[in-house]
Amino acid sequence: MPLSLVYYAKEFFRGEWARKFLAAKTAPLEIPPYFRNYPELTGKTCTHHLFCMMACPAPGAIDVIRTPEGWMPRIHIGHCIRCGLCVEACPNGVLSSGRILESIFYDNTRLSFSFRIDVDQTKCMGCGNCAVACPVNKLIDAQMSHGGRASTDDLLLKVREGKCQVLHVEKCTGCKTCEHHCPNEAIRVARLLEAVHAPEEDP
Amino acid sequence: MTLLQSLKNLVRSKSIHVAYVDVGSCNGCDIEVLACLAPRYDIEQYGIFVHNNPREADVLLVIGAYTPGWEEKLEGLWEKIPDPKVAIAIGNCPISGCLFARPHTLVDPPVAKHIPIAAQVPGCPPRPTEILSAILSVAPTVFKDYEVRK
Repeated sequence: MPLSLVYYAKEFFRGEWARKFLAAKTAPLEIPPYFRNYPELTGKTCTHHLFCMMACPAPGAIDVIRTPEGWMPRIHIGHCIRCGLCVEACPNGVLSSGRILESIFYDNTRLSFSFRIDVDQTKCMGCGNCAVACPVNKLIDAQMSHGGRASTDDLLLKVREGKCQVLHVEKCTGCKTCEHHCPNEAIRVARLLEAVHAPEEDP
Repeated sequence: MTLLQSLKNLVRSKSIHVAYVDVGSCNGCDIEVLACLAPRYDIEQYGIFVHNNPREADVLLVIGAYTPGWEEKLEGLWEKIPDPKVAIAIGNCPISGCLFARPHTLVDPPVAKHIPIAAQVPGCPPRPTEILSAILSVAPTVFKDYEVRK
């Protein structure tokens, strides 16, 4: 009996045992550099195209706020799922996460947005709210009258013969302002997101 | 607090018992918790034991966006855990509901409305490293002045 106590004491008062008991063997593994973590700002200028918000699959994960320095995307941790779509969708490279920016540079890929506007001609009553509210129209013809009628044909939307007509769909920025201002839910904007490989340079 | 009590608390904080409960997630965070047990992360070398029994747990890992089936059950489970205890929210779902927090869904996040949450690990899913460091960072505070409180 006394001998076994001595044996136990000898076993448990070894320095190594105490060190192993009190200190963990290895520190928690570090996050590797290629891990797509929460997107961070690279310092480039945000042009408020809002492609990051359009591409984001998680509700409330990203918004673009106005700061004294200009527009700035903001990631909400706890909502963001770290998919990196905002990093890929941004045309200016404002955000960066892991090695996404490097890999889309080497692979020459891009997420491109296009927009399609559908006007339901049976529901449209030609009120022109969409054409007046459209921010693209405001830039082209600031004098556009109530009712959505205008003399120029450069507009995105215009009311002609009592119905809304889409003239230049390529000018759409996908803001859906027209959709929110339509009283009849007649106008619908579809945002088409597609991954493009080796996009041709714009002339 | 006497020296003996603080020594006991130190020893207790070196052996954390963990129970996890999935209150309606997509199973992604469960897999990451499971990965903590695997040799790569090896949660047991830090003295953290996962055996899914709330009666002997110190730390409860809550995973998922709180579906209606867990009403009253999660609170009952929380009461079953003996003091001292903390709950850690794992992943985005117990924090915000993440992808499930849309109109006309039945989930009721955040879980902090139902039981007190001590720490949150955001991510969809969080890395096992992040889960591990969250458990390790709450471990000293669970048993801090426990005997005095009792």
